[in-house]
Amino acid sequence: MNCLQAKEYFSAHFEDTLDKQILHQLKSHMAECASCQKEYNLFQASVKATQQLPEIDPAPNFVPLLLQRISEETIKNIPFWQRVYDLFKIPKWAIGSVLILVLAGAGTFYYYDAIFNAETQSNDTIVYPDNISAKELQNVITDQFFPRGMEGSDLIGTNSNQPMQQQYILKRVSYTTPSLAGGL
Amino acid sequence: MAESDDELMQRFQKGDEDAFNSIVRRHHKPLVNFIARFIGDRDNAEDLAQDTFIRMFKAANRYKPGRAQFKTWMYFIAKNLCKNEIRNRGRRDRYRIDNVITSEQISGGNEDQIDLIATAPANAAFQPEVAIERKELLKATQEAIAELPEKYRFPLILRDIQGLSYHEISKILELPNGTTKSRINRARLMLKDKLKSFMELL
Repeated sequence: MNCLQAKEYFSAHFEDTLDKQILHQLKSHMAECASCQKEYNLFQASVKATQQLPEIDPAPNFVPLLLQRISEETIKNIPFWQRVYDLFKIPKWAIGSVLILVLAGAGTFYYYDAIFNAETQSNDTIVYPDNISAKELQNVITDQFFPRGMEGSDLIGTNSNQPMQQQYILKRVSYTTPSLAGGL
Repeated sequence: MAESDDELMQRFQKGDEDAFNSIVRRHHKPLVNFIARFIGDRDNAEDLAQDTFIRMFKAANRYKPGRAQFKTWMYFIAKNLCKNEIRNRGRRDRYRIDNVITSEQISGGNEDQIDLIATAPANAAFQPEVAIERKELLKATQEAIAELPEKYRFPLILRDIQGLSYHEISKILELPNGTTKSRINRARLMLKDKLKSFMELL
């Protein structure tokens, strides 16, 4: 065994994994070669120095910071379908309660609106004849609101000595049902 | 008896996030050590260790217990992140040794503690010059490791600092077993040559 070959076996010798024959050859070589013996001693010392390097302690907040980053990453990476799916994980009683409240609110609104419409607009429906010209329609409307015989001073709130004042009749208006009678 | 890494990973895959927290608590210290020894910068090492755990967290469903060892998988990810980090760094601040060596514990205490001990006359058994020599040796060793080429530094750190087997190192570095062994021997010989002048003075 020469010096170059001996160096190839330094690690195996240090870790005590050489087979007997090679170990014998290496030991014989080092017994005769002071340089290799010295090199091996330095080799051993440097490996031991490496193995004895002290551990580096991570910062105390390493784990809390990491767990915080992980939770942030988790939220960021949830796909849209997963978020929708997660909605269904809300307790059934909570969904049920919200649904009941919504239905009750909507029912109340439509119920009172129907009563209101019945009170205010039940007699307001005016049926106009089909195939009527614009002039005839105007006459029909005039007859509806200003019946014959009430022209001039007979109109509500007017007399012959005062200028005619337009009469406004305020009516309650439904917000949901269109009314032909109009709001004013 | 403590659960194995594979058991914890299986629990995590079933949705138990506490299992991953246990993995983090178990492995964060050796991982930070490995990265810090490789890139030579403690602060960056902590960032990279966190990135490693986050990658593992994201890829946890792809991990198959039994097919690969957990440790091998962890160091494989960390190694790739270290390589990217080194590539992204300029040569100017390629290795910042001070950040590592001043913050680590030496002889069971930190630097300040050593100085205090060295000035304490009551402790007759304590030899200040030995502590200083040891401290210098560790610093020189760390610097020598830092100067090793990347392909030798990885296996040396994994073997002599992290204490992994040749088989595990071969898996992490994706090298044949024989190549791993010869690289480690070569790395140790290079380290010995770098420390030679320092050791001969001791």
